[in-house]
Amino acid sequence: MRFKLVLRIVSVGLLLLSGSWIIRELLPAPKIDYSVQVKPILNKNCITCHGGVKQQGGFSLLFREEALGNTKSGKPAIIPGKPDESELVRRLISSDPEERMPYKHPSLSKSDINTLKQWIKEGAQWGEHWAYVPLKEEAVPQIQNEWIKNPIDQFIYQKLKDENLSPSAEAEKAVLLRRVSLDLTGMPPSELIANTFLNDSTSKGYEKLVDALLDSPGYGERWTSLWLDLARYADTKGYEADRNRIIWKYRDWLIHAFNDDKPYNEFLMEQLAGDLMPDPDDAKYIATAFHRNTMTNDEGGTDNEEFRVAAVLDRTNTTWSALMGTTFNCVQCHSHPYDPFKHEEYYKFMAFFNNTRDEDSDLELPLLRHYSPADSLKMNSLIDWLTKNSSLETAKKYYAFLKTWQPTINSMLCDNYINGALLGFDAGLRNEGSCRLKNVNLDQKEQVIFRYATNFNGGKWTINLDSLNGPLLKTVLFNKEKKDGGWKNGTIDLPPLSGKHALCFKYSNPALKGSDQTGIKFKWFAFGQKFPGQGKPGFELALRSFNELMDAQVDGIPVMVENNSEQFRKTHVFVRGNRSVEGKEVTPDVPHILNPMAENAPKNRLGLAMWLTDPNNPLVARTLVNRLWEQLFGYGLAETLEDLGSQGIAPTHKELLDHLAYQFIHENNWSIKKILKEMVMSATYRQDSKVNEKLVQKDPNNKLYARGPRVRLTAEQIRDQGLAVSNLLSSKMYGKSVMPYQPDGIWRSPYDGDVWKPSDGEDQFRRALYVFWKRSAPYPSMMTFDGGAREVCIIRRIRTNTPLQALTTLNDSTYLVMARSLASRMSEQGGTEINKKIAKGYELMMYKPISELRLKALIDLYDKSFVKFKDDVKGSAQMAGVKENPDPHAASMVMVASALLNMDEWLNKN
Amino acid sequence: MSDKQNQRLVKEAQDAVLQQYTRRHFLKDGAMGFGALALGSLMGSCIGNTAATSLFDPANPLAPRAPQFPGKAKSVIYIHMAGAPSQLELFSYKPELAKLDGLDCPQSLLEGKKFAFIRGVPKMLGPQAVFRQRGESGLWLSDNLPHLATVIDDIAMLNAVTTDQFNHAPAQLLMQTGSARMGRPSIGAWVTYGMGSENKNLPGFVVLTSGGNNPDAGKSVWGSGFLPSVYQGVQCRSEGDPVLFLKDPSGMDRDLRRASIDAINKVNQEQYAEYQDPEILSRISQYEMAYKMQISVPDVMNINDEPAYIHEMYGTQPGKTSFANNVLLARKLVEKGVRFVQLFDWGWDTHGDSEGNAVDIGLVNKCKKVDRPITALLKDLKQRGLLDETLVIWGQEFGRTPMQENREGKKMPFKGRDHHSAAFNMWMAGGGIKGGTSYGETDEIGYNIVSGKTEAYDIQATILNQLGFNHEKLTYQSQGRNFRLTDLSGKVITEILA
Repeated sequence: MRFKLVLRIVSVGLLLLSGSWIIRELLPAPKIDYSVQVKPILNKNCITCHGGVKQQGGFSLLFREEALGNTKSGKPAIIPGKPDESELVRRLISSDPEERMPYKHPSLSKSDINTLKQWIKEGAQWGEHWAYVPLKEEAVPQIQNEWIKNPIDQFIYQKLKDENLSPSAEAEKAVLLRRVSLDLTGMPPSELIANTFLNDSTSKGYEKLVDALLDSPGYGERWTSLWLDLARYADTKGYEADRNRIIWKYRDWLIHAFNDDKPYNEFLMEQLAGDLMPDPDDAKYIATAFHRNTMTNDEGGTDNEEFRVAAVLDRTNTTWSALMGTTFNCVQCHSHPYDPFKHEEYYKFMAFFNNTRDEDSDLELPLLRHYSPADSLKMNSLIDWLTKNSSLETAKKYYAFLKTWQPTINSMLCDNYINGALLGFDAGLRNEGSCRLKNVNLDQKEQVIFRYATNFNGGKWTINLDSLNGPLLKTVLFNKEKKDGGWKNGTIDLPPLSGKHALCFKYSNPALKGSDQTGIKFKWFAFGQKFPGQGKPGFELALRSFNELMDAQVDGIPVMVENNSEQFRKTHVFVRGNRSVEGKEVTPDVPHILNPMAENAPKNRLGLAMWLTDPNNPLVARTLVNRLWEQLFGYGLAETLEDLGSQGIAPTHKELLDHLAYQFIHENNWSIKKILKEMVMSATYRQDSKVNEKLVQKDPNNKLYARGPRVRLTAEQIRDQGLAVSNLLSSKMYGKSVMPYQPDGIWRSPYDGDVWKPSDGEDQFRRALYVFWKRSAPYPSMMTFDGGAREVCIIRRIRTNTPLQALTTLNDSTYLVMARSLASRMSEQGGTEINKKIAKGYELMMYKPISELRLKALIDLYDKSFVKFKDDVKGSAQMAGVKENPDPHAASMVMVASALLNMDEWLNKN
Repeated sequence: MSDKQNQRLVKEAQDAVLQQYTRRHFLKDGAMGFGALALGSLMGSCIGNTAATSLFDPANPLAPRAPQFPGKAKSVIYIHMAGAPSQLELFSYKPELAKLDGLDCPQSLLEGKKFAFIRGVPKMLGPQAVFRQRGESGLWLSDNLPHLATVIDDIAMLNAVTTDQFNHAPAQLLMQTGSARMGRPSIGAWVTYGMGSENKNLPGFVVLTSGGNNPDAGKSVWGSGFLPSVYQGVQCRSEGDPVLFLKDPSGMDRDLRRASIDAINKVNQEQYAEYQDPEILSRISQYEMAYKMQISVPDVMNINDEPAYIHEMYGTQPGKTSFANNVLLARKLVEKGVRFVQLFDWGWDTHGDSEGNAVDIGLVNKCKKVDRPITALLKDLKQRGLLDETLVIWGQEFGRTPMQENREGKKMPFKGRDHHSAAFNMWMAGGGIKGGTSYGETDEIGYNIVSGKTEAYDIQATILNQLGFNHEKLTYQSQGRNFRLTDLSGKVITEILA
């Protein structure tokens, strides 16, 4: 009976598949695909001992040239075309447990062994992993039907058909409206946008909605929130005291960039190397704050070089994980265990980042200095004067110096202290104290500008060449010039010298009582030529302007500035990742497996950025479209956004991913808005998200897309939509980060005088991306809803579902304030009857009428609340948030509004 | 909706979640289970198995799970003294150092060394405390800890702990997360990931802080790193809500909260009927758990009802923020089934820059605040029969130099010691640890290790071992590799196991 049944199924199958099946049987078997069939076997069973980390027996399977080379035994393990003569095969089937591989592990399955044999027979060709192969135009499956709206759907439909599934119908308008609005702008739509769509019955209605959302300012804010995770943006520096960092202008730069739809290639180039682009303006400098979001360690007595290197490593790792979906950090200690990256290539790549001026200083120098409008005018006149009276090149040099105080030598490089010490980042000298600044290039250096602070009259600073007893170059007398002993800049002339020398500094001041008092502190030194144009008309004014601008007390934002040739740092391999064991010296380059750098490209960050945004770079576009897809659908087409390599989870729809990435570069010209529009216009995206048990079992995480996305909202979206629906949300954009109410005692960093001071007025109710982000103590609800502390780059957030989330939306006073405000909105707009008011609340949130059962549950809550509140004046007042004469109806409505704000359908996009 | 109806609703929701959970685990464990875990770890931490070895189940991330093998300890109380107390005034008896007091530090000790604050040539500083041998074991202990002396035979002293970090934040991170950089999960997060939470109504990993500040490394030392955030430590506070947002808004009573959760769950049930998404059922049970936590957490965090002799024993004062109160709370929490209780006490950074930071003044006062409660904890756990299954740890991020600090090359106003990474002490008790033992040796001035070198990874491996985990096999895949708490190192300190 059973046998018959099977037969019948087989015969039906034969009929259905008919032609193709027979043809496949008659044709020779297709060649073994290395990436799909062989690599997974090697990764799973062999590469631990024969890969990038270990090469037991002198045998590695990572690269073909290694695998075919001689092993320790003196002969190769693989002989292409001859599986039976290949040692590898013999070892797989050997009966001697000492010989049989994998050593001390179960032997490979027969079919795996056959695959390997066949592969060797066919020549043991190495294939490249899909993600490292350049993009090409993908053939779109030629399927047409009523459901399909664009090529995305053709790919999706093809796979659904293969899996015997069919797509779902389009979601109802209300659901779609909320879904696409939250996805594109992170917020519910404005009433105008919502009503226009809901009342538009034409076929163009949805597209108009999408266009309106892409055009709204909220779009830029929403996608900035995502990028802040990747940029590990925070408003503090990280370690110990975790003091404040002023870097919010970078966040604002992102908002502008997204709203202006800055092409993604330019977007990346400016963030990686804006400072090296021709004539960088403030915006290009600010963009480079991307990689200044690394942590800085202010803790007393830290080794600044150690943490400078830590930041450089972080920049290297983040560039790979966030922008290229590759686990490059594996290569820090050894060659990549699975993917074709060599140990040395890590340090070649790190070398691109190893020549920036930042040195883990407490002030986070270099900063881009923001001048007042008046000072900016002064700057313009100065630059004009310099251009006319010196040269354009000189003018540019002065402009850069005034904007960044670079190039300067940080005084933390001083050594040989006697009666003095490195104070944090400053060189401090006491009476008769001295120190040394080594290796100063004095070629054509006529003067030195130095930043210092002294609090005493009668100080004398002498500078001697090469040693304390060497020729005296200069004596400078200091008096206390400012009441507070604050920092200022000084300029002194130097006698003509050349070559590299040590400068020995000595400070004496008999007026200092006791040996413990520090008389002077230095922060940096800038060696250079004298201010040009002496004797020319306007010289005095120009010099005065220069000094005033240089001294101006202004805010700044940490940015990237490249070392000049005098300060160039060499980069070495760290043997096994250990900084204290330096291996060979390397120069900047990209891994050999990927597209080469353009021949004329400079070997610095700019060249790196050009390489990254080259259409031939196989990883950048794939990583981005995969991430955008994840934001809309809950999972990436390749789920492991952080690892598109051979250890990542293989993409469910590789051709679609490649199609989108190719289209993004070649048709959309790197426009994020265009590719997002393509995605949300697809029928795949617009599907209803209802499921049934069968489908849940077959495809629990909706990787086949037989239904629309149903995903819990992010921490930011949950806050923003609550503020929006309760009419509290401030529409203010940009500016310094805000501090909404949070319970006392969250900030407890040692030695940190900063406090959480609740912002005034509407700043209490700004969108979540403006909330001050303290790394060591982030805003609680952000963490509860799966945000990270942003100590390092967050590649993707993993969604959880916990009681602490419930407690937050039930009890956090921010949510209580939202509930009160929503309740008044319901009462004002819902008419006079209780059920109408409740129904109105639901409609305001979900854009559709409330179901009977839901309404009944909420009326029930209302009634129970009213029974309590009508006899409880105090409780009623507390719930409604009024001082006197509370209305028990109002208090009861707050209870209902709070319940509405906790609905699962509200916390999700449906 | 009546209570009964509501209970049924919730039960249904929980059953459905459980079913889904079981099904998923059946599939997972049937195919690979712990075998896969073991395989993953054999490959070394940088090389993971492609197969998912994750114990994380989004639908029920805190479900109790059995460890890999039956462990001696069921829970851990890890007391970290942030700032790093001086071992030379507490645990490490160095009579030879007294003879060198006031002499210049020999150049041989300074060559190639880096210190946080010592500059130039510092002076040696003899022990600023009197030491005695205590208990039957005869372990040395200073008079700064007279109470602890009475339970010395329950303690295993680690004499030769070492680290390569000499700044607070990175050193604390190394001790608590296995990496000196931020971004790795803390020990408690790993344990919670491995075991879930035994008490459904309490978090599995609770953190209590005292001393006026959070530890220098901030919340990262109880963070979840790359593990799902659900495994991070829940900080229970002694002011305001014990757990953030636990308390209902003013004006609401429990009946009304019940009514509101009933309404929310009913609306969500309706949503489930329409969408059939199992996540909705999970949310329904999370709201139910939140409701229960609102009772159970304040209950366990309340020490008012403890008998007078307990308050006397611990030196607790209800209503105040104190280390003693936190220690008593730790006992209550493990009694209720919390797996991992982490205490941080700030203020042990005795540089000698102020009276409060002097090894002969501030340190003595600090000891007075912790000596009695810690001793009481060990005694109390013992009398309740809980010491055998509760691992108690005295930890710190590094030790202090045998030299007197001379910050900026100057003489300090008080006697103090700089950060010392090369050698310091920690101790463990209970949870399968052999009392009255000691392990490791340092040289005669406590500067370097002579034998029994113990690293952060060894301590972490031992903690996991006592709970029933092979530290090499508790792994999680992130960024393409299998990570584990102990990175590439770690060995269980078998010498101190019972």
